[in-house]
Amino acid sequence: MNESHTMSACGSIGARAGLVALVFGLAASFGALAQTSGPIKIGMIYAKQGPSASLGEFLAHGTELALEQAGNNVLGRPVELTWLDEADPQVAQQNMQKAIDEYKVIAVVGGNSSASALAMMSVASREKIPLILPGAAASEITGKKCNRYTFRTQATVPVQMRGLMPYVSQLGKKVYFITPSYAFGQDILRSSRAMLKEVGLTEVGSDEVPVNTADYSSYILKIRQAKPDVVVGGLVGLDLSNFLKQWNELGMKDKIPFVEIAVSDTDFWNVGPVASTGIYVKPWYYNNPDNTSSEKKFVADFTKKYGRPPSDKAWSGWIAMRSLLESIEQANSTDSAAIIMALEKWRYTEGKFPAFYREWDHQLIKPAVIVQIKKDITDKWDYFNVLKLTSDTEAETAKSFGTREEIGCNMGPI
Amino acid sequence: MLESLLSQAVNGLVLGFIYVLIAVGLSITFGLLGIINFAHGAFFALGAYVAYQLYQMFGWPAVVFAPIIVGLVGMVVEVVLIRRLYGKEPLISLIVTFALGLLIEALIRVFWGSDGKPLSPPSALTGVFEYGPLLITKYRVAVLLATALTLAALWAFLSYTPYGRILRAGGRDPEMVDMLGINLPRLLTAAFGLGCAIAAIAGVLAGPLWTVSPSMATNAIMPAFVVVAIGGLGSFRGAVFAGLAVGVVISLTIQFKPDAAAASMYAFMFLMLLLRPRGLFGERWERFE
Repeated sequence: MNESHTMSACGSIGARAGLVALVFGLAASFGALAQTSGPIKIGMIYAKQGPSASLGEFLAHGTELALEQAGNNVLGRPVELTWLDEADPQVAQQNMQKAIDEYKVIAVVGGNSSASALAMMSVASREKIPLILPGAAASEITGKKCNRYTFRTQATVPVQMRGLMPYVSQLGKKVYFITPSYAFGQDILRSSRAMLKEVGLTEVGSDEVPVNTADYSSYILKIRQAKPDVVVGGLVGLDLSNFLKQWNELGMKDKIPFVEIAVSDTDFWNVGPVASTGIYVKPWYYNNPDNTSSEKKFVADFTKKYGRPPSDKAWSGWIAMRSLLESIEQANSTDSAAIIMALEKWRYTEGKFPAFYREWDHQLIKPAVIVQIKKDITDKWDYFNVLKLTSDTEAETAKSFGTREEIGCNMGPI
Repeated sequence: MLESLLSQAVNGLVLGFIYVLIAVGLSITFGLLGIINFAHGAFFALGAYVAYQLYQMFGWPAVVFAPIIVGLVGMVVEVVLIRRLYGKEPLISLIVTFALGLLIEALIRVFWGSDGKPLSPPSALTGVFEYGPLLITKYRVAVLLATALTLAALWAFLSYTPYGRILRAGGRDPEMVDMLGINLPRLLTAAFGLGCAIAAIAGVLAGPLWTVSPSMATNAIMPAFVVVAIGGLGSFRGAVFAGLAVGVVISLTIQFKPDAAAASMYAFMFLMLLLRPRGLFGERWERFE
């Protein structure tokens, strides 16, 4: 009696196991089908809070608009875009992992802070998912710490500083640095100090300020004591806005000129025309008469949708997403290796000379724009006059981004 | 060197006075209600935002109503939420008020957005005072005076008016106050509202100084806790001394080693907790319930 019971129990277990296997098999094959015909998932990692919240907002909007302009699909399949937070490097890294594990993204466009970018890059390399950084100017990202899965659109700190230096030397001999104490600020100090001697400048002081500092009055007092001819800044987002506001309130705005790189329009929109001052290098400006026709269309579409013109961050998100979508189309696949190879061959051919990701370090080779705050700001958004680009010819641009030996990037295979 | 120290110290006093104001509100809430209010920074931020909104709609004079509005909001919060925490273990009030703080910050972000709102001092107060090495904006001097006045008024209210005395009695011995026929629950609601209103006054004053942004809540609550830990929980004098000390310490640290500036107040607190755990003027704990 027991044996027959056991036999039939085995039999039914076997049948059940077989049924389960069949179901799993069917589900797996449906899953595999889904991967070639369901929606394509792409992740965005931008700050939703903290001092870079305005930057994150414009980055996301620019990225989304690029997708919209492409008809919200790629390879004939709809695209699902997920926006996760970049509050600090730990959160950014966790969200990158989350985007890959939970949301099953095939690529990520994100990272504005150099510190977050470095954290996210390690995940991209380990998980073999392409990452395009629209922000993050620190050199080691496409330099010593470069990897095959990371691409970066913003011009590096040395490129931007080299563009700014001639203006700094016109303003005087003595320089004071006020930079944030993380990778980006340290890169500014490193690059600038290397250039000071060749332009005949001396450093009279330097402060490294913690990110998210609200009160700059003590720093401004120190700058005043040192009596520099020009102040070179590196503050980001709301920190820069706060600084400029307090700089103006303490009566320093018209006494000592202020310059910086990698700034964004929102830093100045948030502080108003009265306190805005200085000469800056930034990736792009919406009211530059030399913008290409697709850039002008981007400005028009963005302004129509959001009621205000795109900041340079919006453009950075837009160009990053454009490069990704066009590369996916070119590769005709969602496979990481294929996308990487397509990105390495991608070119933006509008404009005087093409922009592209350099093959051996994945840096977008495109000049940045040097701007100055207008003397009289009458429009709500148009704060800048464009002075020039950081380089005017294709050869000059390639040279300004450095040689392979200078950059020090050694990427592995895919 | 002495000149730069002097100018930084004076600047530190202004910063310190704002910290005092925030910490005093926190200390009062604890002293009178026995609740450690983690949402205190959020009420500070709310004060700044309400002031910004009133300024946009009605101009500068309307800003005076911001602390009153926030005080009323605080009273509603007390009736709905805080009163359920009395007598419970402290961990519960920490968790609930922490969550409340996050909620208020999130609501601020929903209503006003995540980006900073520029708020400049009124035009009557723009400009600087310059005496040799000392450079201070007129607005900061005004903040100093306003804070000092508020603190003095608060102290006078608590010490000399009958209502203030009842509040203090209610903090010490609620049962006795109840037996004397005084409406205790209403008293406690008013006390919480007062704490929130003081936080809001600090927020209104700090708004034009620093940009009005959702993260100003965290920028306020952390120094507040440090000041209260150094000065002693529940002590008015302690909050004043410790707040000014923290402000000066931060400013002087910036003069010599700016990247240690944020850490300097925590180092100060650490030292104080090692040497004298109850703070400068804190009461010795007889029982912890």
